[in-house]
Amino acid sequence: MPIDVGTVRKIAALARLRVAPEDEERYVRELVAILAYVEQLQELDVEGIEPTSTVVAGEPPPLRPDEEKPSDIHEDALGQAPDREGDYFRVPRVV
Amino acid sequence: MSTISPADIAAARERYEPVIGLEVHAQLKTASKIFCGCSTRFGAPPNTQVCPVCLGLPGVLPVLNERVVRYAVMVGLAVGSKIPTRSVFARKNYFYPDLPKGYQISQYDRPLCEGGSVDIRSGDGWKRIGLVRIHLEEDAGKSLHPEGKEGVHTTRVDLNRAGVPLIEIVSEPDIRSGEEATDYMSRLRQILVYLDVCDGNMEEGSLRCDANVSVRPKGTTAFGTKTEIKNLNSFRFVDRAIAFEIERQIGLIESGGRVVQETLLWNSEKSIAESMRSKEEAHDYRYFPEPDLLPLDLDPAWIDSVRSSLPELPHALWERLVREYEIPEYDAEVLTETRSLATYYEEVVRLSKRPKLASNWIMTEVNAIRNRDGLSIEAFPVQADRLGALVRMIGDATISGKIGKAVFEHMLLDPASPEEIVKKHGLLPIDDDASLLALAEEIVAANPGPAAEFRAGKEKTFGFFVGQAMKRSGGRAHPEKLQAALKAALAKQG
Amino acid sequence: MSAPIHHETAEELARSVREGSRSAGEIARAFLARTGKTSERLGTYLHLDPEAILAQAARVDERKAKGETLGPLAGVPVAIKDNICIRGVPTTCGSLILERYRPPYDAHVIQRLRAADAVLFGKTNCDEFAMGSSNENSAYKPVRNPWDLERVPGGSSGGSAATVAAREAPLALGSDTGGSVRQPAAFCGVVGLKPTYGSVSRYGLVAFASSLDQIGPLARGARDAALLYDAISGRDECDMTSRPEAKAVDLDEIERGVKGLTIGIPSALLSEGLDPEIRASLDAVRAELKRLGAGEAEVALPHAKHAIATYYLIAPAEASSNLARYDGVRYGLRAGNGDLKGMYEATRGLGFGREVTRRILLGTYALSAGYYDAYYLRAQKVRTLIRRDFTEAFAKADAILLPVTPTPPFKLGEKADDPLAMYLNDIYSIPASLAGVPAVSFPAGFTKSGLPIGLQLVGKPFDETTILRIARTWEKASDDAWRAPAIAEEVA
Repeated sequence: MPIDVGTVRKIAALARLRVAPEDEERYVRELVAILAYVEQLQELDVEGIEPTSTVVAGEPPPLRPDEEKPSDIHEDALGQAPDREGDYFRVPRVV
Repeated sequence: MSTISPADIAAARERYEPVIGLEVHAQLKTASKIFCGCSTRFGAPPNTQVCPVCLGLPGVLPVLNERVVRYAVMVGLAVGSKIPTRSVFARKNYFYPDLPKGYQISQYDRPLCEGGSVDIRSGDGWKRIGLVRIHLEEDAGKSLHPEGKEGVHTTRVDLNRAGVPLIEIVSEPDIRSGEEATDYMSRLRQILVYLDVCDGNMEEGSLRCDANVSVRPKGTTAFGTKTEIKNLNSFRFVDRAIAFEIERQIGLIESGGRVVQETLLWNSEKSIAESMRSKEEAHDYRYFPEPDLLPLDLDPAWIDSVRSSLPELPHALWERLVREYEIPEYDAEVLTETRSLATYYEEVVRLSKRPKLASNWIMTEVNAIRNRDGLSIEAFPVQADRLGALVRMIGDATISGKIGKAVFEHMLLDPASPEEIVKKHGLLPIDDDASLLALAEEIVAANPGPAAEFRAGKEKTFGFFVGQAMKRSGGRAHPEKLQAALKAALAKQG
Repeated sequence: MSAPIHHETAEELARSVREGSRSAGEIARAFLARTGKTSERLGTYLHLDPEAILAQAARVDERKAKGETLGPLAGVPVAIKDNICIRGVPTTCGSLILERYRPPYDAHVIQRLRAADAVLFGKTNCDEFAMGSSNENSAYKPVRNPWDLERVPGGSSGGSAATVAAREAPLALGSDTGGSVRQPAAFCGVVGLKPTYGSVSRYGLVAFASSLDQIGPLARGARDAALLYDAISGRDECDMTSRPEAKAVDLDEIERGVKGLTIGIPSALLSEGLDPEIRASLDAVRAELKRLGAGEAEVALPHAKHAIATYYLIAPAEASSNLARYDGVRYGLRAGNGDLKGMYEATRGLGFGREVTRRILLGTYALSAGYYDAYYLRAQKVRTLIRRDFTEAFAKADAILLPVTPTPPFKLGEKADDPLAMYLNDIYSIPASLAGVPAVSFPAGFTKSGLPIGLQLVGKPFDETTILRIARTWEKASDDAWRAPAIAEEVA
């Protein structure tokens, strides 16, 4: 699957990650190399094989009882906000 | 593209079939959030019902709330869904300020419930609206967009709501109008409230609706392009927005245009649906199974125990009332508006033994006051024991219906029993023959003309005398005995 | 006369504090003095607060003075990798995006360490968000190998491994996703254990790849590793993936020798790229274990050669999702001064380093529409095959012996420009991660040039005891299990 600068830009946009223009070519090269390497998986026969979603086996744990457990981290949380307005987190408006 | 007149659209409407599916999100009224112990209570000061988990701080993990699963299964069973033994949580990845982790834990290709249905009214009968699925997910927080100063635009984020448990109920595109959509919403809401798993409050957002709308030429089966309408937070808006969108799409197609797949926001002030689409690309949510939660495996024996603990549901209750009490379908519908109203009704019937009379009293007198004062049946000042006694008195003709209404008015303010109120206010019926005869003779004597007419054969005049006697007695005359007395009085003279 | 404090085992230090022959205070001071001498050169710590450390030690001494019973790690300094949350203490994960972030809560393992009366000893340097095999990906500074300052200590828990090797702290916690405890342990000549997935709670471990991450102990000697493992393992109700099957390792049990145990050897997996000195060390260990009574069996692990490809689709995919929360909204770095999208992109563009960016791009791609089936889903299927390989292998063997790394520690900068070459170093460590089984890296000699060689034992699920038992047996039989790097011998 050909990866080019356009692909990198699309993926970066999906990941909300700015890639500097001078770095684009390098990421293209690196991703091409890595994807070429992982291509080996295509040769394997995985017919009828269940994908692993967890390696955990055995009895599932009991679910959490529905009880209120207050947590007083209001100030701790807001105190680290890069920008706050009173009791709110503040961000630039969605366009 | 040509413009097209409203008359043309009206004609065109007949040629098209609207195809509507609804996605309803309902908040489950558990004490704590789906993945953490924070409260789910509405209306708390911003960012006070938060913890590391629902804030999405580095290093936190979700822990599933058992009652959330129970409530969701109850809903699935109530609508006849299949509950697969295993369902899987999945991450839905996207960026938004009120989505702390940058993904929502939801369910993708293996939801908690599959299929099911909700019956809505169609003419005199019922129409079945199929369900595709019901799945569990966490709610996001709230983004508030106050107007900024000097052109600076910011958004405020409150994460109290982040992590509140939701079920998403997806219907098949079986709905054909705004009206049907509203009926569907109303009955679905009724089921949720009957189960006591959701408070069904659209204004507060505990029940939300998005509509998928498309049209196609009548008689065809292929689907037209659909649009999604969001921000429908009342039944009225559901109806209006869907009607608007059907019109818009028909108008567009008829004048040579094409419907574009997009998301629209209902603007309730302007009563139009506006495109939400910005230049941004369509969402690629990159779903994958949630590695921090194990697959949810439900024990069939446990599901059975949930099933047997379900309360009687609206439709079943409606059917039973019609059958057991032989009341009209319409009555049963009103009486099953809520489970507590139905329980109230049945108690009144038990005490009065008068199903239809009880139904009338609740539908008219009780509900009139309830509507006027905005009262739930639980808060209504006349409880079933007292109304039951009153209806029994009327049913036994101990007092007339008219007196009954007067007694009822007193009962709204006075907690005494109807018997006590009748005594207190001198509303006792007049039922001794002597007084009734005296009264009858008085009325007859005062009305020689009508008396003569009656004796001459005009039997209808009798009603006049009954009315007069009732008026004179303040409605207290025993109806049957009065009739006998009048007959006697009229027979006497002449 | 007992050894100088910084050469004592953690077990011995805890015993002496519980008995009263040493104070927690003097132990803390001894290690602080050591660290003061060496950590600047090694780059081992991102945060070290001597006052806070001495205060903790003082509290332990107070409790001892009151006659209270002290926990199994009484007074023992434990260095903590900087991707594990300690309340109120900076936790950067080696990244700029969390430069000033302080968690408002303790990780589960931290709560357990406090309960054991351990002394939390600084936050160790690591590869950014645990992504790397050399600790060159820290946004702040690299870590250097105490055996040769021009060489890497391994990663991503390079700081934790180096600090233990240099005798700056007797114990450390690291995290292992594809080898990040075991590989630096091997490069630094210490013991590093990756426990069975689910045996140590991940609550408070900043997630990299959720289905693979485990917190693991780094220590000198198998007994110390067991001691630390026992203090932190077990079911935690805050982590749904943590298991009640987790078993504490009995310290007497691991002294039992290897008679009757069968060691599996995956000969086919030992590639030509394996350094001959490491190969020789493996053969020497095999021979010695056989001499001591172990049996041997050939095991296949036929799909393990696809482990790197499998891992480098699954781990970045999960990472791309786990790192989406670093968006500048609620905590950490925020950049950009335009609209919301610009804020996200600038924050994450500036805040993440190259390796993290690379993996987020790779992972996002592997999950994206049209590619999910061919990449992520297929990789998870191959993972199932790899897990089955281990199940089959464990029908014939009690533990599997193999290298940790194909080469001894390389020089700083040597592999920094070729990510794929860096990934290929993980060939021996990744299979056990994908299978979720326990694996320990233990010192097994030195190269001719004096660099540590580590070997690996992989065990059955929740059988940390057997692999530590075998490692302990080797440790007792070998001559140089306790050799320290020169930097550790420098007079304080």
